[in-house]
Amino acid sequence: MTTFGDLFLAGLSTGAIYAVFALCFTMLFRTSAVLNLAVGDFAMLGAMGVDFLYRVESWPLAVAIIFDLAMIGLFAFVYDLAVLRTALEGSRAREAILVLFFFTFSLSLFIEGLAQHMFGTNVVSAPPLWNGPSLQFWGLDLQRPAVLLIGLAILTGGGFAAYLRFSLNGKAMAACGDNALGARICGIRQPSFRRGMFVAMAILAGVFGIVESPMTGYVFNSGGSLSLLGLISAAFAGFVKPVRAVAAGLLIGIAEAMLGGYVSSQYQDTLLFTVLVAAILIRPQILGNLNPAN
Amino acid sequence: MGNAKLQYRRGGGSILSNSEQESVPDQLRVTDLKVTYGDFVAVERASFSVRAGECVAIIGPNGNGKSSIALAIAGLVSRSGKVEVDGVLAPARNPAWMAARGLSLVPERRQLFAGLPVVDNILLGCYSWTKNLRKARASDAFSEAVDLFPELQPRLKQLAGTLSGGQQQMVALARGLAARPKILVIDEPCLGLAEIVARRMYEAFKHLNESGRTIILIEENPLRALAITKRALRVERGILDERVDGRLAEHLAEAASLEVNPS
Repeated sequence: MTTFGDLFLAGLSTGAIYAVFALCFTMLFRTSAVLNLAVGDFAMLGAMGVDFLYRVESWPLAVAIIFDLAMIGLFAFVYDLAVLRTALEGSRAREAILVLFFFTFSLSLFIEGLAQHMFGTNVVSAPPLWNGPSLQFWGLDLQRPAVLLIGLAILTGGGFAAYLRFSLNGKAMAACGDNALGARICGIRQPSFRRGMFVAMAILAGVFGIVESPMTGYVFNSGGSLSLLGLISAAFAGFVKPVRAVAAGLLIGIAEAMLGGYVSSQYQDTLLFTVLVAAILIRPQILGNLNPAN
Repeated sequence: MGNAKLQYRRGGGSILSNSEQESVPDQLRVTDLKVTYGDFVAVERASFSVRAGECVAIIGPNGNGKSSIALAIAGLVSRSGKVEVDGVLAPARNPAWMAARGLSLVPERRQLFAGLPVVDNILLGCYSWTKNLRKARASDAFSEAVDLFPELQPRLKQLAGTLSGGQQQMVALARGLAARPKILVIDEPCLGLAEIVARRMYEAFKHLNESGRTIILIEENPLRALAITKRALRVERGILDERVDGRLAEHLAEAASLEVNPS
């Protein structure tokens, strides 16, 4: 029972990582059909930037966090303005998704290079935001950053779901991803929503990186694998519903931990992806409406 | 205003008498409108004006520029020339400005939000005048839009993409109406619809025009359009022509010989 419980909590912590990234993918895709492959790199920038400002430059922690997140937001804003806007306006919808895939992948590589130059190649982490010994739940240990992380995933997922459901701006945002022309006809300024969501998701990923990094540590190229797992989780949520994205991330994390604990820790990733591929083959509709024509 | 003076009876085109109509200012004025797609000229120097409360049909064969006129007026495609709403010059390619000024487009192929419920589709019509969901839900515009087609009532929570073509067209018109339009531009509303549904749509257009909305109706089938208006602008190969030539006169005569009520 303790083994199961420990594995469950470990899976929940890992799953919260996937959940937040799945949320970032889902919300941006829902607004603009953009898949941002650089979202994991924004998390890395959050963690490594705060470590640099706080530990190396000795800035106060709060100032370091605010400055770091502001820079991430500004960077995302400028990138959207300079690159995504141009790419979207020059392409037809079906082409745009491929073009943007390329541009966000390039952005990921660019950020990795920038981070290597600025922060070096060591594994670092932001200081823990909630210090103290592990919390005890029915004899099971749960690290405090993991509690923050799970809380962040659930809160942001719930918050975005409520925004989409209970506000006209949220519905307008969903309309942009559903039918950009229809949204324009209704007077909805789709580029503003896309830009706002691109910036917001970059900042959310940065916050996530700051919260999560004390558990795993970050290196300049950590973002790629995080983005990939977030993308997979978002795909299992159909890129549509934020709560489903969070749930899919948590479930995949738990499945990964269970497979590692009960089957083989050496092949846990291989087993996980085998299970995921099998699930898609059996039930392809899981992947939802990735096709923008839908 | 006696009925005898009404220009709009069957195939009227306006709820106003001739003398009243002369005093009504232009609500929409289009001057030298030109639309090009690359080297292809879709619309060439089109000029026309529409008075408040008027119903005007833009007719002509498919692929000759009718929808391009609608898209250009609504600010959805690049254009040259002038478009004025209530005497105010409209910026090019700014659909949000047009929607805020009360010009609502019900586009060809509807362009609904297929993955959202019917009620959200209609509520989003309100976006041009409010960003407040509660205010939108409580508005007369939303109520009128939902009440326009009672058959939509039991389907408000259904995803718009799962409706039949006719029901989707009703949602598209309801969404346009929720925008509190002064001018409704309706593009090929009966494309692919059964005749009985097309009649239902035309009853709604007639009702909306009678309640004071200006309607610009883009229609391939001139007989259908001329059943609710006498004013038709014909577009052929991108050239807009308002002269009543032999063919249009034939259409008008044929439309006049039909029943008063298009249904």
